[in-house]
Amino acid sequence: MLKKTLGLAVIATVAIVGQAAARDQIRIVGSSTVFPFSTTVAETFGNKGNFKTPVVESTGSGGGLKLFCSGIGDAHPDITNASRRIKKSEVSKCAKAGITDITEVKVGFDGIVLANAKTTAPIRLTKKQIFLALAMQVPVNGSLIANPYRTWKDIDPSLPNTKIEVLGPPPTSGTRDAFVELAMEGGAKKFPSLKALRKSDKKAFKVIAHTVREDGAYIEAGENDNLIVQKLVANPNAVGIFGFSFLDQNSDRIQGGIIEGVKPTFENISKGAYGISRSLYFYVKNAHVGKVPGIKEFIAEFTSEDAFGEFGYLTDKGLIPLSKEERTAIRKQATSLTNLKMM
Amino acid sequence: MSILPLIILLLAMCATGYWYGSKKALSAPLPVRYLSSGNPHQFGLFVVVWGVLPPAMLFILWLVFSFLPIDADGSIAQQIDKVVFPALIMLGAAAGLYMAIREINPKLRVRKSLERCVYAALLLASTLSVFTTVGIVLSLLFETIQFFEKVPYSEFFLALDWSPQTAMRADQVGSSGSFGAVPLFTGTMLITFIAMIVAVPLGLMSAIYMTEYASRRFRATVKPILEILAGIPTVVYGFFAALTVGVFFRDVGTAIGLDVVTESALAAGVVMGMMIIPFISSLSDDVIMAVPQNLRDASYGLGATKSETVLKVIIPAALPGIVGAILLAMSRAIGETMIVVMAAGFAANLTANPLEAVTTVTVQIVGLLVGDQEFDSAKTLAAFALALTLFVITLCLNVIALLVVRKYREKYD
Amino acid sequence: MTDTQELKEKVSWVTDDAMEKLARRHRSERRFKRLGLSAIVIALVMLATLLVSIIGRGYTAFIQTTITLDVTFSEAIIDPKGARDHKTLKAASYRTLIREALRKEFPDVSTRKDLRALFGLISKGAVQEFRDLVISDPDLIGTTSSVELTASDDIDMFSKGYISRNVSEEDRRVKDIEIKWFDQLQSNNAIQTVFNKRFFTGGDSREPEVAGIMGALVGSLYTLLITFIISFPIGLMSAIYLEEFAPKNKITVLIEVNINNLAAVPSIVYGLLGVALFLNVAHMPRSAPLVGGLTLALMTLPTIIIAARASIRAVPDSIRNAALALGASKQQSVFHHVLPLSMPGILTGTIIGLSQALGETAPLLMIGMVAFIVDIPGGVTDPATVLPVQIFLWADSPERAFVEKTSGAIIVLLGFLVFMNAIAVLLRKKFERRW
Repeated sequence: MLKKTLGLAVIATVAIVGQAAARDQIRIVGSSTVFPFSTTVAETFGNKGNFKTPVVESTGSGGGLKLFCSGIGDAHPDITNASRRIKKSEVSKCAKAGITDITEVKVGFDGIVLANAKTTAPIRLTKKQIFLALAMQVPVNGSLIANPYRTWKDIDPSLPNTKIEVLGPPPTSGTRDAFVELAMEGGAKKFPSLKALRKSDKKAFKVIAHTVREDGAYIEAGENDNLIVQKLVANPNAVGIFGFSFLDQNSDRIQGGIIEGVKPTFENISKGAYGISRSLYFYVKNAHVGKVPGIKEFIAEFTSEDAFGEFGYLTDKGLIPLSKEERTAIRKQATSLTNLKMM
Repeated sequence: MSILPLIILLLAMCATGYWYGSKKALSAPLPVRYLSSGNPHQFGLFVVVWGVLPPAMLFILWLVFSFLPIDADGSIAQQIDKVVFPALIMLGAAAGLYMAIREINPKLRVRKSLERCVYAALLLASTLSVFTTVGIVLSLLFETIQFFEKVPYSEFFLALDWSPQTAMRADQVGSSGSFGAVPLFTGTMLITFIAMIVAVPLGLMSAIYMTEYASRRFRATVKPILEILAGIPTVVYGFFAALTVGVFFRDVGTAIGLDVVTESALAAGVVMGMMIIPFISSLSDDVIMAVPQNLRDASYGLGATKSETVLKVIIPAALPGIVGAILLAMSRAIGETMIVVMAAGFAANLTANPLEAVTTVTVQIVGLLVGDQEFDSAKTLAAFALALTLFVITLCLNVIALLVVRKYREKYD
Repeated sequence: MTDTQELKEKVSWVTDDAMEKLARRHRSERRFKRLGLSAIVIALVMLATLLVSIIGRGYTAFIQTTITLDVTFSEAIIDPKGARDHKTLKAASYRTLIREALRKEFPDVSTRKDLRALFGLISKGAVQEFRDLVISDPDLIGTTSSVELTASDDIDMFSKGYISRNVSEEDRRVKDIEIKWFDQLQSNNAIQTVFNKRFFTGGDSREPEVAGIMGALVGSLYTLLITFIISFPIGLMSAIYLEEFAPKNKITVLIEVNINNLAAVPSIVYGLLGVALFLNVAHMPRSAPLVGGLTLALMTLPTIIIAARASIRAVPDSIRNAALALGASKQQSVFHHVLPLSMPGILTGTIIGLSQALGETAPLLMIGMVAFIVDIPGGVTDPATVLPVQIFLWADSPERAFVEKTSGAIIVLLGFLVFMNAIAVLLRKKFERRW
């Protein structure tokens, strides 16, 4: 009894003592998509030996921004990664907690690919076909009906006669969000009837364009992209939706689908020829710069040509770099900690 | 003044107190000593308790004080924190020890007062679970209320359609989600049910074999080996379920002409069953082992075979413990996440067919909490509402289970 | 058959009918026994399948491909001023040295693209190894000696046979020219496979070939220590109170139901509670094993309490009565007699509870322990991660080489688990008895 009580006391005291010390380490939270890049920079930054290696958490963009916007001080993170832009409501929430100075840094693109196992023929799809294969409701003969297509061949005779089976991220994921907006909405626009609808009732159009079917053809497989890759290898008929870096690493087992005649290669995504990619960001709490050592240097490292440049080490990890002009502009903005402007 | 020396000093003071207290008790004249209600050891402990209690109280006060949102830089607060409290604690300990030692006399009912302290500690420990519950409810309630401001109760509890496809960005006016939680709860039940079908017979039979048939050595080896199953990280089970078991069931299904999806509830359930086998096998093994041998002997003496003894005597005698083990295993199955995330996915189907994909409440909670969506959107808030609802539902199930166990409980010996 | 015959001869009232019934009972007895054995066998086969698949995939994580190169420790590059102080040595460009050595080995490589590929043979982590080497032995500067350098993950994968030569070049991570270099190095005996010490001693890294699990292992150790210190005594005390002392009234029923219910609360909800309680109210540091341990302790408490109660309940009343009859107080009967007898069951509950805590990821997500942390934690308040989280993060990484690291980490976790269980099993054996 005695020992236990004392043990408790020791722990509690250690807690207090620990909290008293000021933080000398950058804390980063946020998106799991940016996580591989952010950690690579963090490690390189730490290896230079001038500062401690930052701690990078993978919490999801929303969770990251929530932590980021919760306040100023040692207990709150300095940087958050996001696979989408910060929202107005989030900016105002930040402002409520006294965080008014935020620097936004766009770091590059992440390609979203459709892929299948190497043992079958590569898929060739147009955005229109993607929409027809995955939307909840599709226009047939001018009227909207629940998606009737069971096999790819039902959509277009040139496609293979296999069941539509697409493994993709759940609706809570930013990857899914970007995919729906770029691929499916892009496909929906190709239908004259839907295009007309878009002009008259934008909201109704988006409901149709963004709603993914739920009858089992689209399988919400979670966000573990490695698992999707392995499931594709095990099931050659399935098609998976995931980030480009996983295709890059597994190119001996899976192949990227050709969308609108463009192959998802590094060059094509970088040039913008491949249509489905999204921007990645991180946000810096300016109030912490100078209080927590190394933030400025970390930003400089991330935005150096060595890191996010065309031949930087982040491209080895699968980041698609921005154009040269954009990089220069962003570097200038980021290193001078220019405050975020919301449009 | 730092904490560690303070604690060492306190320990030293208590040790001296113990020594002195027990010595003082011993020094009483012999006949009186035998009459006294306690031995020297207990007298020593009595002193120690008095030496520890006041500082402990003060320490809690100190903790509260340092968590108060008082300006930490203020010199007075700083002074109080650094000097006044340690001094007070030392004074408290010294006073407590002194009083206790002075109290010692042969007539002191030291065992009784010691036991009162122990009783209080036990009571305190058992209330911690109540505080945990209060904490859980409080940490869920606020967001749940916010959620129900956005989504009506009727939709959440009655609608049969779960598809949180709400827009993620302001410019995406798109789809409004639907938040009918029913398919999630049926999915949870389905997967838990499958897991229990796997785990209960396997676990219970293993336990019976190990206690009643196997040699001592066999049991000593197999029991800890089976316990490894409970400690394998669920991520590993997830991969196993998704890539090995799921594909296996699909192939078998195709071979016999059934349409089985790779992400079937069956695969997730079976693997989850595997994981909770030790919960049932090890815990019921212990309670079966504790059934007194004379019950067995009596049964054998009447000519019953071993299996008859097990089924008709031992299991009824061990029933409360076995039910406890099964309940615990079931709870674990309900709360499990990773296996289902990887093996069955997020598709919320309202079905009782184990060959189809379903999702569970916990999967959705995790998915919603770590997603990329905005944190005050209905999606994130739904996670809290789901958690609270699950909490209430399992509470009801537990009340029912308790009533059932009470009805069938038999007490031997 | 013979003994039944004998029996029949001796005891005349044994009818055929009764013998038939007895035989049937014996048959069902044998069936029951086989059923029990097969249950154990099935469970063991399941475990074995899992273990074999993990070990088969993971044992290569313990070995590492290295490339031996003759490196000139040029003074002009490392320490042109000859100061030899720590700062200069630390900041020197060791990458250049490695690059020079590679160029010397393959003088005919000239284009920028090929050079990039050539430099890619050696791991980025080799630079740190190199730096540590020079710092530990500054006398090397100015000399030339052969140094074993860690190969990059792609080369490592290729050397271990995970990347096949037969795949067409464009689909292969290792290109033809790199294979040519690799073969050349191999024919010079410059390629070696060594025990991957770094995997056990290093912290996490984004380069699979230098990533280690020491940080996560230490984190797990601290976290579990806290979990045990909190949950075992409190769980035990609650169980004793509820089973032995509590008056049987509505309140205790409420507590009992409540504890059973807590066992069913999804682990991530405990994470939410941990955030609210330990981070927001008590202001403890984020990502710390202290907070993780406290959160997991709350999670494992119900398991321990339920198991401990079941096992205290199983102690026959005759034991208590005997103690009380000899003049022991209620508490003495409990602490001196009931508790030691119920210890095996309590320990089982603790093992299972702690095993679960050891394998848990979800609640730690909320309190910031699902993170990339390079430094090995030095205390319970340093940022740390734990083994299952490390497994989860590696399993989610795009690099192929992390597949074997993931399985390797799982093997280490299982080793940790077996070690932990072994201690408890020894203790359990000490207390176990049948009466």
